[in-house]
Amino acid sequence: MKCAAPIDAALLGDYWLGALAGPEEEAVELHLFDCDDCGRRLREVVALAEGVRKIAREGSLRMVVGDVFLERVAAEGLRVRQYAPPAGGGVECTVTAEDDFLIGRLAADTRGAKRVDLCICDARGVEQMRLADIPVSEAGEVVYQESMTFAKASPSMKMIARLVGFDDAGVERVLGEYTFNHTRSLPGPGAW
Amino acid sequence: MDIELNDAELVLQIGAGGGREAEAELFRRMAPRVRLYGLRHLRDEYAAEDLAQQVLITTIEALRAGRLREPEKLASFVLGACRMTVLDLRRGVQRKERLLEQYGADMLAPVQPSSPRLDQEQLTRCMQGLKERERTVVVMTFYDEQTGADVARLLGVSEANVRVIRHRAIHQLRACMGVAA
Repeated sequence: MKCAAPIDAALLGDYWLGALAGPEEEAVELHLFDCDDCGRRLREVVALAEGVRKIAREGSLRMVVGDVFLERVAAEGLRVRQYAPPAGGGVECTVTAEDDFLIGRLAADTRGAKRVDLCICDARGVEQMRLADIPVSEAGEVVYQESMTFAKASPSMKMIARLVGFDDAGVERVLGEYTFNHTRSLPGPGAW
Repeated sequence: MDIELNDAELVLQIGAGGGREAEAELFRRMAPRVRLYGLRHLRDEYAAEDLAQQVLITTIEALRAGRLREPEKLASFVLGACRMTVLDLRRGVQRKERLLEQYGADMLAPVQPSSPRLDQEQLTRCMQGLKERERTVVVMTFYDEQTGADVARLLGVSEANVRVIRHRAIHQLRACMGVAA
């Protein structure tokens, strides 16, 4: 039966996460015991959460993560390969078949930057992709997760990560460039 | 039997000795709801299934004995039984075997909920289509079930803002996956 007062999916997400205050949680629970329509929506949210978990465990997303996330994947027995090239410098890197996550730690002085973007550039420094308005840790570090699917398929190549910041006036400035000299160590030539 | 019985009518029928059909209908109606409650609180499918069996047997026992004085409050009664049983389970109290012996296993066959199946490739595309902060929040939230402080610290925003970002991202993912917001 169609619910006359459906609970919003995001609120059901809060319920699933245990993020509701006591009285609010009790009201949601009582409603769910009387409403299969909202129960179905909650199952959809749960399926979405499980799908996200699965994707996150695959390490296939390009994104910025936090140390808490890395601690959790390590606790699950997943293997994290990390590189921390200095700003203006580079690092020799690779991935093996056993690696589950590939992390680049990019430290920069982000003071004064109202927004920080991460640009992924080719060997000539030409921007290929931009992650806009990324989270930066309190210590001024960006923990970038490269797609493991991409990295494992990659031939030997050079990739430049460039952090840029925007000040109050919206003026962009380079905060740091980090070169990753990737050597393919997996069998085969590698191709996308 | 008439499956259009409302909860109160079902309670009265069981109380009047309505037999196994009425009890089976109660089980069919309430088991998915109890199982969902169990998943939420116990985070384990098997434990949720055990919960559904224990709670519904307790409920039928009470209805047979006419202990539910306000039949229209069946949902509240079952929810209360869920809360008590989860507390019991957490205390390590296991009554399942005794109950199975008393009521038989045939009536207690699991009713599997229809879990929606997701297109993982589409979900990956939808995830990649989120804004950076939304993606970070969604992954940190659902991978590690963090709702507040750690995510807020990483993003340099308040916990209330994290909630707003999470809500927006959930709506966007659902829209991208083709389900109503």
